[in-house]
Amino acid sequence: MIKIQDIRDTARDMLAKNEVRAVIGYRRGSRGMQAEPVVITRPEQADELVWDPTCVHNLALNLVEDRKALKHKRETPKQPIAVVAKGCDARAVAVLVQEHYFKRDDVYVIGMSCEGTGVVDERKLANHLNGAYATESSFDGDDFVFTTAAGEQRVPAREVLADRCLECRNPYPKEHNAVFGEDKTGRELAVPFTALDQFKALSEGERWEFWSHHFDRCIRCFACRSVCPMCYCDECVVDSIKFPVTGQTSAEEKATRIRWIDRSATRADNAGYHLVRALHLAGRCIDCAECERVCPVNIPLRLLNNKMEQESRDEFGYEPGASLSGPSLTSSFNENDPEEFIR
Amino acid sequence: MSEQQAQVTEAASGFEPRIVAFLCKWCSSAGSDLAGVSRIQYPANATPIMIPCTGSVSPLYILSAFKKGADGVLVSGCHPGDCHYIEGNFLARRKIQLVKEMLQFIGVEENRFRMSWVSAAEGAKYSEIITDFVEDIKALGPQTKLKADRT
Repeated sequence: MIKIQDIRDTARDMLAKNEVRAVIGYRRGSRGMQAEPVVITRPEQADELVWDPTCVHNLALNLVEDRKALKHKRETPKQPIAVVAKGCDARAVAVLVQEHYFKRDDVYVIGMSCEGTGVVDERKLANHLNGAYATESSFDGDDFVFTTAAGEQRVPAREVLADRCLECRNPYPKEHNAVFGEDKTGRELAVPFTALDQFKALSEGERWEFWSHHFDRCIRCFACRSVCPMCYCDECVVDSIKFPVTGQTSAEEKATRIRWIDRSATRADNAGYHLVRALHLAGRCIDCAECERVCPVNIPLRLLNNKMEQESRDEFGYEPGASLSGPSLTSSFNENDPEEFIR
Repeated sequence: MSEQQAQVTEAASGFEPRIVAFLCKWCSSAGSDLAGVSRIQYPANATPIMIPCTGSVSPLYILSAFKKGADGVLVSGCHPGDCHYIEGNFLARRKIQLVKEMLQFIGVEENRFRMSWVSAAEGAKYSEIITDFVEDIKALGPQTKLKADRT
């Protein structure tokens, strides 16, 4: 059981002693019980921090944004920035360090073990509460406690947990400077890749029917890309707007420039976008499932990323976020990699 | 219409698949040349695109080819250990496997995408691979899944 006061004290302490320049954490948002990310820089703000089942966001994203802001301002601060990280967030930090996006010393990881639970899936909860509006939530052992107009309601966590939390084996942040909560690595709430394995059992025609339906529905809002801590490329292949058009650019150059994936939301272009994104995340995606959560049209993006994760684990024995050093999945090889498919 | 009937109609309508073949400059490309100078007969459906190394093939090339209407895509390079850049084909092997798995996963036919090792001395093997590939794709018919609507 994690006491929020401990986290607040840690944050206040570090900010007061000027050990870190800011703390990225969660605070109560303006939408019901939902938490939201916050960056605090003064010790007295530490009391804003919260820790409850609605802390769904992957705060590694805020680290990336901080890094981008520093680069823009051309600053190289001496103190690290602290971040509150769940098991999955800590894996994201590990991948970013492995990719040399920042150094390990640039970040102070305040690890939070999800212990036997995780974060809540809003849709599952709405079903469970039958339309009642929860205003507060808290952890209690393996249960969640929600406060609604009808009073407190205790719900077994596994009934409203996000799918990725159910399948999570590493709720304990391996990479941390300070850590709260018990180490429950290897817990089993559900079999990993449940949805993926079900989907894989479908026939080729059914699979295409499923995905073509979803590719047709994508509106290309790029919410999945914006929320992903690994999508930090300065220039994305789908953004053709960065093509420099000057007075000297001829009509022909404009017409014949390479556009791998067009911006129009058609099936073929949407398919291209999602496949390229999934392939670029192969061996980097740490399954925080934020892309799927923020998707306004509910495209099951986690399936695509899970597929790559399973493939890299089964075929190449590669676990994203498992180590801070060493080569990445696609920049390394093993002489015994499978090649039965090659003629 | 049964699958067999469909194949017959397809053959009757004279469907000629368009295959994009990404060939490594150091081996497969020379292999296809050798097939040519040895006067080996094989279908002319493959459009060769010379690339410096299979390791340089981005998944984007493959998806882009499918988007522009390719019925099949072939990536061909040097046998493991023979890479001009020492390890390019080893890196490609991993990357291409991921692309292949992904295409199959979303329901694109397995036979539409292929990888092969063809050395500069294997003109006969190259012609065989193209012949097989064209046959397999003729059975599948035109690729419409990933093709862009506009022409």
